[in-house]
Amino acid sequence: MVRWYYLLLAFTIAIGFSESKKELTQGERVQQLTDAAIKKPIINLNSEKFRQFVKATPRNYSVVVMFTALAANRQCGICRHASDEFQLVGNSWRYSPSFSNKLFFAMLDFDEGSDIFQQLHLNSAPVFMHFPAKGKPKKLDTLEIQRVGFSSESIARWVAERTEIQIRVFRPPNYTGLLALVVLLAMVVGLLYLRKNNLDFLYNSTTWGLIALAFVFVMTSGQMWNHIRGPPFLQKTQGGNIAYIHGSSQGQFIVETYIIASLYAAVSLGMVLLTESAGKREDVGKRRIFAMVGLALVVFFFSLLLSIFRTKAQGYPYSFLLK
Amino acid sequence: MPKHVSRNDSSPGPLGVKSLVIFTVLLLAWMAGFLSRLFAVIRFESIIHEFDPWFNYRSTAHMVQHGFYNFLNWFDERAWYPLGRIVGGTVYPGLMVTSGSIHYVLSLLNIPVHIRDICVFLAPIFSGLTAISTYLLTKEIWSTGAGLFAACFIAVVPGYISRSVAGSYDNEGIAIFALMFTFYLWVKSVKTGSLFWSCLTSLSYFYMVSAWGGYVYIINLIPLHVLVLLIMGRFSSRLYTAYSSFFILGLVCSMQIPFVGFQPIRTSEHMAAAGVFVLINAVAVLQHIQSRMSKSDFRSVFYAACAIAAGVVFLAVVLLTYFGFIAPWSGRFYSLWDTGYAKIHIPIIASVSEHQPTTWFSFFFDLHILIATFPAGLWYCIKHVTDERVFIVLFAVSAVYFAGVMVRLMLTLTPVVCVLSGVAFSKLFEVYLKDEAPQRSNLESSEDEEERTNKYDKAGKLRKMKHEQTANSESLGSNIRTLVILAVLMMLMMFTVHCTWVTSNAYSSPSIVLASYGQDGSRQILDDFREAYYWLSQNTPEQARVMSWWDYGYQIAGMANRTTLVDNNTWNNSHIALVGKAMSSNESAAYEIMTALDVDYVLVIFGGVIGYSGDDINKFLWMVRIAEGEHPKDIRESDYFTERGEFRVDSEGSPTLLNCLMYKLSYYRFGELKLDFRSAAGFDRTRNAVIGNKDISLTYLDEAYTTEHWLVRIYRVKKPDEFNRPQLPSLAKKRKIKSSKKDLERDINRKKRGAIRNRPVVVKGQRPKTKAT
Repeated sequence: MVRWYYLLLAFTIAIGFSESKKELTQGERVQQLTDAAIKKPIINLNSEKFRQFVKATPRNYSVVVMFTALAANRQCGICRHASDEFQLVGNSWRYSPSFSNKLFFAMLDFDEGSDIFQQLHLNSAPVFMHFPAKGKPKKLDTLEIQRVGFSSESIARWVAERTEIQIRVFRPPNYTGLLALVVLLAMVVGLLYLRKNNLDFLYNSTTWGLIALAFVFVMTSGQMWNHIRGPPFLQKTQGGNIAYIHGSSQGQFIVETYIIASLYAAVSLGMVLLTESAGKREDVGKRRIFAMVGLALVVFFFSLLLSIFRTKAQGYPYSFLLK
Repeated sequence: MPKHVSRNDSSPGPLGVKSLVIFTVLLLAWMAGFLSRLFAVIRFESIIHEFDPWFNYRSTAHMVQHGFYNFLNWFDERAWYPLGRIVGGTVYPGLMVTSGSIHYVLSLLNIPVHIRDICVFLAPIFSGLTAISTYLLTKEIWSTGAGLFAACFIAVVPGYISRSVAGSYDNEGIAIFALMFTFYLWVKSVKTGSLFWSCLTSLSYFYMVSAWGGYVYIINLIPLHVLVLLIMGRFSSRLYTAYSSFFILGLVCSMQIPFVGFQPIRTSEHMAAAGVFVLINAVAVLQHIQSRMSKSDFRSVFYAACAIAAGVVFLAVVLLTYFGFIAPWSGRFYSLWDTGYAKIHIPIIASVSEHQPTTWFSFFFDLHILIATFPAGLWYCIKHVTDERVFIVLFAVSAVYFAGVMVRLMLTLTPVVCVLSGVAFSKLFEVYLKDEAPQRSNLESSEDEEERTNKYDKAGKLRKMKHEQTANSESLGSNIRTLVILAVLMMLMMFTVHCTWVTSNAYSSPSIVLASYGQDGSRQILDDFREAYYWLSQNTPEQARVMSWWDYGYQIAGMANRTTLVDNNTWNNSHIALVGKAMSSNESAAYEIMTALDVDYVLVIFGGVIGYSGDDINKFLWMVRIAEGEHPKDIRESDYFTERGEFRVDSEGSPTLLNCLMYKLSYYRFGELKLDFRSAAGFDRTRNAVIGNKDISLTYLDEAYTTEHWLVRIYRVKKPDEFNRPQLPSLAKKRKIKSSKKDLERDINRKKRGAIRNRPVVVKGQRPKTKAT
């Protein structure tokens, strides 16, 4: 009942507006939109403007509208993200050589047009919809965010699919990486300069050895895979337990790679301890303890490694000490 | 494991025994390596594996038949129809020349061996040579004992076996030998500074260039070594001689390979070597000036000159690249640095499973204990650094990075892991078997023999340490020693067992002959691929053109000897996209493409009957993606998903998918097939679903052949007059409806009657039975 009421209200308002403001002609609308677009690539709409520009029937332009909720009290973190990407597409279109009045980008905030949200049966945000020049939006005129995401490239591809207007997304180059590198280099150089009288640490093989080993452990424990694939840190299983180790050989969790890296480090440390303890000129008791610790490290952590490997490789028959 | 054997069969003695031990260990390593690669030959037969090896085999056979120069000029009109392929200019000929010359020598000796057998056994034989060159390299870097360990490791380690089992006739099989041998010669030439060794280095480099595209790794690693040595202040005339002669000779040699051509002076990948060459000459000039100037004068000159030289080199490279004299990095190499690059820009690179990043699981799977112990060897190499150990450190650090980015490059990591683990283990055994010389047991004697070898062979730090140690008579006690040795030997034994298991289970399947195991352990051979290719070669005209996805191009050319449209040499993306478009369009649109490309037969791989997961439907999304990249108007990936974004083949699947050519060709007549008493007709075992479109009729194609397990299905493309001819459409249609109804009835009948389980039954048009209901 209430819904009917709203709808009725929406209708009366709509009719009221159209009567009071008088329908603008198509040319006027295009003119207004173009002016607005030149000022601001993403046109801000409210319900009234939405009806006036997007819903009005004789149109020779398409509008891509982002329905969103940017107000802080709506607590929509993803909307801000999506909005940035959308801005990027809008800007790329605005400054592209093929910019024309056939396509406009607009956005409608929930707080400024909740009735439109209801009218379109939208109960989540953000939603990207394309309103074609002819006819009503079809199913494919809504961007499938779950499937393709809302990166500006996929928005642009979707727009190209729907409107046949190709937009080359121009991302302002990301200088943060470069900046970080420059700062880091400057710091290193500065440090070297400050310690210019005492550069022995550069010739210290232990430092270099540690750096090299750290790099090796990072790489062999599969951090590059994490970087490219972005797996979860760890996972909750159905029973409510927390899984640290991915069940299959195809995947891994971030915490799992940390565990593996430390296991590798422990085995290597054990090897070095074992070797050093036999070759040093020190107290025998101490060396014996070192040798035993080294052996324990190598054997125990290697068996642990093997047993983790076994849980991941189905049907692997061998184990050592630990099952 | 060869080590153990050698340990028992030697006794302390003079120098002759030492070389006997070394010889025995290396020989046994070679044999162990060779034998453990023969699983596939014993289980199946002496057969070429997988995809690329088929092309290599075909070109080798062509070369043996027509001679080397005809091979270099070979234009293959059987591939990439209608474009063809200039084979001589687009392959690394090292592999073919190697096996061709072996064949030539053997036939000179009147030993008649078929070229196929040489191709099959080439990689296992070269694995022995790899073991020897690894031994030589490790000996130069550390000690003889470490070298023997490294040789034994590399002989059986799965990371290398994965590319060198018998039958896997590919470039990598000989390239790893060339890589290690080049590195050995390089280290030798840096150590000696003799022109002889650096000439040999460049010759070996030439062999590497002729064998594998991975030579780029050498031509970047060696300059890096030189650069780091320069930075460390280890410049010497030995280094100067070694590098400048290697660079010039290597450059000239590498340009002799037609496929490489002018790349060494035109592409960015090779510019580092040239830059370092300029730099080392500048440094040499400065050294010369230094000897003629006072120290304070020289200091300012030195810094200015260094800065100017570096700046000039950098600017030159940038400018040349900018003006197009030097090609920028190619996509494959670029994706090694910017790891997200390939995924966005080059789907054809991203689609290959070898180009995926590596999980820790694969590292451990391929290297087992070595991956955990080689950091210890790395540590010792850094602690006791020399010119040549700098090299192995750089090798390890760079290889571990590349292996992390791409599974395939595990291959370059494996040798260095073996070398450094050899160092770690040999150092361990050295000290634990050492100073109980009077009461050592027979078992330990040979290890000590290796020990002694070091003293003869290597001077320097190591030896001094040992003297110190023997001077210090307080030992750890024999119990601890025995315990440690037993534990470590135990783990090494686990390593060998693991290697054998992995080789046998993971790396020894030829992938053109499949084997399935029943519950009682009985083995069933599925030979569908060869069945289909043999059918093609016997039943189709000589000039027939077969369309398939690119994975099977080399096999069709190699086994069936028919013309293909696309193959595994993925040089022409738009041609592949065209085939992908044909596969993903509906039948009539596909027919237009197929007539435009003169296709006579279409071949698809279908695994739904036996549950083979590597079939075309599972690869289908890549076809769509690659087609979409070139034809975004006609093919859209989203059309092939359901509304909820799933890729399904059952009745909920998207209509575009259910009517595209690939789907129809895979599932044609499959809706009538009942695999199992319990499952419904048309149940796809690979995707565990009943297919959505059971009533498939083909207008433009005709089923020509389907293999025993339906794995390969071949269709003939009809000529226009065949389907344009007026038929009796009403009659045909009526019959069809009737028959499908009857199938339904039959199903019901069948349930009542009971049937033998697991017995595939093809249901064709049958006599009407009594009505059930």
